[in-house]
Amino acid sequence: MLSNLEALMHGFSVALTGYHVLLMIAGVLLGILVGVLPGLGAPNGVTLLLPLTFSMDPVSAIILLTSLYWGALFGGSTTSILFNIPGEPSSVATTFDGYPMARQGRATEALTFAFVSAGIGALVGIVVITLLSGAVASFALRFGPPEYFAVYLLAFASFIAFGGGAPLKTIVSLALGFGFGMMGMDTVSGSMRLTFDIPELIRGISFLVVVIGLFGLGELLLTIEEGPEFKGANARLDPAAMLHAIAALPRYWLAILRGCAVGVWMGITPGGPTAASFMSYGLARRMSRNGTGFGGGEPEGVIAPETADHSAGTAAMLPMLSLGIPGSATSAVMLGGLMIWGLNPGPMLFIEQRDFVWGMIASMYLGNVIGMVLALATVPLFAAMLSVSFSIIGPVIVTVCLVGAYTVAGAPFDLWLALGFGAAGYVMKKLDYPLAPLVLAMVIGDKAEDAFRQSMLMSNGSLGVLWANPLVGTLSTIALFFLLWPVAAAALGRRRTAAVAAEPGA
Amino acid sequence: MLDRFRLELAFAGVILLVGALGLLGSAGLDTGWASDGPQAGFFPFRVSIILIGAAALVAVNAWRARGTLAAIPVIDREGGLRVLRFGLPVLGMVAVAQWLGLYVAMALYLLVAIRWVGGRRFATGLAVALGVTFASFVVFEKWFGVPLLKGPLETLLGLG
Repeated sequence: MLSNLEALMHGFSVALTGYHVLLMIAGVLLGILVGVLPGLGAPNGVTLLLPLTFSMDPVSAIILLTSLYWGALFGGSTTSILFNIPGEPSSVATTFDGYPMARQGRATEALTFAFVSAGIGALVGIVVITLLSGAVASFALRFGPPEYFAVYLLAFASFIAFGGGAPLKTIVSLALGFGFGMMGMDTVSGSMRLTFDIPELIRGISFLVVVIGLFGLGELLLTIEEGPEFKGANARLDPAAMLHAIAALPRYWLAILRGCAVGVWMGITPGGPTAASFMSYGLARRMSRNGTGFGGGEPEGVIAPETADHSAGTAAMLPMLSLGIPGSATSAVMLGGLMIWGLNPGPMLFIEQRDFVWGMIASMYLGNVIGMVLALATVPLFAAMLSVSFSIIGPVIVTVCLVGAYTVAGAPFDLWLALGFGAAGYVMKKLDYPLAPLVLAMVIGDKAEDAFRQSMLMSNGSLGVLWANPLVGTLSTIALFFLLWPVAAAALGRRRTAAVAAEPGA
Repeated sequence: MLDRFRLELAFAGVILLVGALGLLGSAGLDTGWASDGPQAGFFPFRVSIILIGAAALVAVNAWRARGTLAAIPVIDREGGLRVLRFGLPVLGMVAVAQWLGLYVAMALYLLVAIRWVGGRRFATGLAVALGVTFASFVVFEKWFGVPLLKGPLETLLGLG
């Protein structure tokens, strides 16, 4: 623990340069913009910015991208409360009570509750990372290929068991992700797989293009279909009401605590912020004394999902850094970024890239404080921006998405791909296919396959290696149990009534 | 206009097709298990099988619940038209970009989408189109040094 604190102090010395603080501010502002605009969310905000960071120093790049993520998480709540339009899938639950509050003229109060409780949630998530990541990483250093494969399997299996979507549709999403991830050159044998002799497919399909299609264009089409009309509540902020709300916050300590616990858990296991915020809202409604007021402008209904949303968003960085397994779609994109910058995600980062790891963790503290302050300060500005008609903003977002898809690899073919995945994303969203597992499977499916094939090389093709020692045996058994969970649950007649219709992990 | 039952079936069909393509693609590879474990085609083959199986199950589930699902509209006429009106110009932009480059395609798309789809004034459309295109040029070519797709017009102007 003490060595972690020391490392964190070192991290602050890396993160607290003028250049990095400027990057944080820029990242947070871009993030709020991305979060506020419907159709641009955290996963594809990070994706769009990624190609521009290829030439940057990895520490600076990750600070910029994570700050954008925090900004997007905050910005998503602004539109949820003021316009009843969730800027992010993970802030859908915030609309339930946030918008009614704004309609009652309590917008300032709702926004303050949302941002401050989100800030607290984020802080708890970061403290958990600070305290645990070192220990998890040094534990993971003992992992060989079989252990890694078991952990990957566990990540996929927990999506199926707890992802919140219909298990069958989660399996389709995962399998599609694996399939798209396999296209191109096989890393073990060097042969071409699933390229159908099309030259454009030899380098495979980039997950970045897929994210831009699924989360960017697909989301836009959904917004368009509903005929977006920004009928906003009054966005003027009243400083007195703000202070009043902050003073009232301690009364909701239980909701905050519950939100943090749900969020940290869902972030570390790959449930992601969306599932976390819904779950936290549901729990609060069932357990709170004010439960009957939920849906009609109850502050606790804003605090519960917001706390969970942000603690899940930050906690998702823990498995990404220490194991190389992303806990949400956005961290999956960042993980891909790490590999592009030439870093090898996983426990070795903590030894070889101390500056990077602790600089990033330290920047998360400051980034979230900056996010909270800027989110509150810029509410009027971004609210005013939404008064510009969607008939102008929509096409501009499309251009940004397509340009982003092109910059990934400089390939005109990727524009067609982005378009195709946009249409697929629209239909998948309509039919409640979860999208996050697809991205996760694309990013780490390759690594999972490599780990599996290396394990088989070690054991001469025997699956027994997955139960060769207590550690890997436990992991494999839990993974199998999770895989069979939906079947078992159905058999027991305890079919989970999934309150979560939206996809987990934004 | 479209009910959930039909859309479920249609998309399950698409997934089935993707799975079949996967089978086709892995047919030329060694899908077996040798002494050093799974070969190159092992996973593509099995993932395709899983896709086909899962798609079939989705379809069966949808069929069993067809009564309820058929009563749920997923896209109404108006919404569907809005999506088409918004989506077709995007398709056009991608097609034009392959031929004339991204900058020209972007400017044309923005003008069409804002003026004719969005119903704004011509001047507004033109201003946004030129503004965004110019800003993209400065940001990508000058600041970040990331060249975007260029066509004959840029070559003519000596910018390509």
